[in-house]
Amino acid sequence: MTLAALPPTPSPALVPALPKRDTTARAHLDAVARRGAPLVLARDRVLEVPGPLGALLPGGALQRGTVTTVDGERGAGVTSLALGLAAAATAAGEWAVAVDLPGTLGGLAAREAGVELTRFAVVREVPGDHWAAVVAALLDGVSLVMADVPRGLRAADARRLVARARERSTVLVMVSAAARAWPADAALRLRAEGGAWTGLGSGRGVLAPRPLRLRVEGRGMPSAVRTVDGPLALTG
Amino acid sequence: MVAARRRGDAPGDEPVVVLDRGRVLAASREARAEEVGTGLRRREAEARCPGITVIERDPAADARAFEPVVRAIEDLTPRLVIDRPGMLGFPTRGPSRYFGGDDGLVARVLGALDPVGVEDVRVGIADGAFAARLAARRAVVVPPGETPAFLAPWPVGVLGDDGLAGVLARLGLRTLGAFAALPSPAVLARFGPDGTGAHRLARGEEEHPPALTVPPPDLVEVCEIDPPAERVDEAAFMAKGLADRLLGRLEERGLACTQVVVEAETEHGEHLSRSWRHDGALTPAALTERVRWQLDGWITDGLGERAVAAGRLTGGLTLLRLTPDQVIPAHGRQLGFWGGDAASTDRAARVFARVQGMLGLEHVVTPVPQGGRTPAERVHWVPWGEPRVPEGGRPVDPVVGPTTTELPAWPGAVPGPAPARVLAPPAPVELLDDRGRPIVVTSRGEASGTPAVLRCALLPDRGGAVTAWAGPWAQDVRWWDRAGRARRVHWQVVVGEVACLVRVERGTATLDALYD
Repeated sequence: MTLAALPPTPSPALVPALPKRDTTARAHLDAVARRGAPLVLARDRVLEVPGPLGALLPGGALQRGTVTTVDGERGAGVTSLALGLAAAATAAGEWAVAVDLPGTLGGLAAREAGVELTRFAVVREVPGDHWAAVVAALLDGVSLVMADVPRGLRAADARRLVARARERSTVLVMVSAAARAWPADAALRLRAEGGAWTGLGSGRGVLAPRPLRLRVEGRGMPSAVRTVDGPLALTG
Repeated sequence: MVAARRRGDAPGDEPVVVLDRGRVLAASREARAEEVGTGLRRREAEARCPGITVIERDPAADARAFEPVVRAIEDLTPRLVIDRPGMLGFPTRGPSRYFGGDDGLVARVLGALDPVGVEDVRVGIADGAFAARLAARRAVVVPPGETPAFLAPWPVGVLGDDGLAGVLARLGLRTLGAFAALPSPAVLARFGPDGTGAHRLARGEEEHPPALTVPPPDLVEVCEIDPPAERVDEAAFMAKGLADRLLGRLEERGLACTQVVVEAETEHGEHLSRSWRHDGALTPAALTERVRWQLDGWITDGLGERAVAAGRLTGGLTLLRLTPDQVIPAHGRQLGFWGGDAASTDRAARVFARVQGMLGLEHVVTPVPQGGRTPAERVHWVPWGEPRVPEGGRPVDPVVGPTTTELPAWPGAVPGPAPARVLAPPAPVELLDDRGRPIVVTSRGEASGTPAVLRCALLPDRGGAVTAWAGPWAQDVRWWDRAGRARRVHWQVVVGEVACLVRVERGTATLDALYD
C-alpha cells in the first residue's frame, strides 16, 4: 500500500462531530444551538417544519412574524395542511392555537397530523365582532395561530393583524376556501388541490392516507420558481 | 384574634371570629362557647351566635401583634425561626440544658410571655419542627426519642398535602403511624420526592435530608436605603427588588430557599434580624410578603414614642439585607432540554385566560383523546384550565399523575385515518342507491342497497355520484340502556376527491365527518 492510495484526509470542519445515523438527534441539537445563539438574524427567526411538508416550503420553514394562507375547496385537504403547520410549532416545544369558526375541527386528526395535544388549544364559536380582537390577543401568547378567514373581514382589520403578528414574531395561518380570501399581505400562499383517495373499493376496504397535491407560492422562493407542485402524503 | 382585640376593633369579652376567604379562621373563647368553630361559613357563625363580631383576616396586623411575643422569647434564646405570624420555633437543646430541662424551658417561655398579655399560648417540644408544631397544638412535651410514637395516632391529613392524604386514606393508611411503617424505597417509587418528604415527616424526621446544600457565601442581597425609610411601604418596595434578585440568583444555581434571614439596620446603628421559614420553597411573592410583615412589626411598633420607651428602633431603616439560611436543590423548575419552555406555557396560559374572559370558559378548549367508536366520541373537549381528563374519567392524581396515556383500541371503532372535520351537529344528507331510493337499514344492520349518490349542501357541487365506499358498519350502542340506546350504521364514502363519513340512524342519513 502506498501513501498515494490513501483517501485524502477530510478537513476537520467537514468531519461530522456526531455519527450520521441519528438525524433527529442532530436536528434537535442544531435547533438547541440556534436557540442558544446570542444573535438572531431576521432570516433565522423561523419555525422549522419537519417532514415532507417542510421539504416543499422555501427554506423548509415558516418565517416567524409573517402570514401564511392556506386555501382549497372543502374536502381538498385544507385542514390537514394547516394542522401540519401547527404541528411544526408544537414539535418545537411551543404552543399552537386554532380559531375554529364552525367548531368542527377534529382533535384526533390534529394528533395524527403530529400536533402535540398538550400544547394545542381551540377557540370556538367566536362572534363576528370579537373575531379580530380574539386573534390579536392570541397572537400575543402563542407561536402559531391558525384561523379561518371570517366572512366580510375588513382589510383594515387584516392589516392590523399582519402588523401584530410581525411585532410578536408569531406565525399566522389563515385558512379559507376561496383563493385570495385574505385581504392583506401574505408571505406564503399554499393551496391544497386534493388528491385521489385509495384503499376504498365498492363496499370493501378502508380509507388510506392519500397523496395531496399542493401548490406553494411564496416570497422567499427564487423568482424563477414561484410555485412548487408536490404530492404530499397526508392523512384525512 | 389577639391583634384585633389589641387594636380595639373587637370587644374584649364578647364573641369574635376572624374570617379568611369567607371561612372562620379563629374564634374567641366566648364564640367557641356558642359552638362557633373554625371552618364555618360566615352565615353559619352568625346564625349560631347572633350579634357576633366578624373581622377579616389581616396578616400585617397579625405580624405587628406577634412582634412583642417574638421579642419576649428573643430574650431567652437566639435563633428563632418564624413560620408565620402566630407561630415560631427554635432549637431547644441549648436552652433546655440552661433552663433545667424541657419542662423548665416551657415554664420560662410561658413566664416570659405573661407580661405581654397574650392569652392561650401553647408550647410544645418534640424532635423536629413538624412534630413540635403538632405538640404545640396539644401543649405537650414529647421526650426525646418518643416522637414517632407521638406522631403515630395523628391522621395523615396533618401532613398538609390533601392530594397525598386522600390517596393514603384510600389505601387504608389513615394514620401517620401506618404511613411511617411503609418501607421508604416503596414510598419513593410510588409517590415521588414529595411523598418521600411526607414520609420522613411521618417517621419523625426532618422533611429534607439533614445534609442541606450550604448557601454560597456571595448570595446575600443588601440594599442601602437613602434617605432612611420611615414608612413600611417605602422599605417594602426595596424588599421586593431584593427578594426578586435573591431568588433569581438562587434559581440560576438550581437552588430554592426554605429559610431566610431578614436583617435591617437603622440610622442610629441598631441591628435587627429575624429568620423566616416556609414549607416548600419561597416564591418572590411569599418572600416579599414575609419581609413586609417583619418590617410592619419593626417599624409600626418601633418608631415613635413607644420606641423610646421600649428602647428599640429609634430611627428610619438605612439598610436591608436578605440572607438565605437554608437552601435545597430546586426541582420542578427544570426546563426541558428539547424545548417545552415553562415561560412559553405561562404566556399561552395568560392569553387563553384573557380570551376566556372575552368569550366565556367553554370557548377555549383542548382535545383529550378517549375511548369511543366514532370520531366525535373519541375526543373529549376540555375547557382550558380544567384537568385534561377523559369524559367521566378519574381526575389526574396530584401525586401519581395520569397513569396511562395510551388508550386501548375499541372494538367496532370506525377504522382509517381520523377525519379533520367532525360536524357537530351532523349535517343532513341524502344517501341514495342506484335506483334513486334513500338507503335504509334493517334492524339487523343490513342496508337496503349500495350507495350510488350522495347529496349534501356542504360538499362541493352539492355532492354527486359515489365512486367508492366501504360499509355498512353497524353499531348497536348501549343496548342495555333504554334511554341511551342507538342503532346506527356508518359508511365511508368517496365522492370525486372528497371522502366523508355518513351515518344512517332511525331512517335518516347524516354527514358525520369530512376527511379534509
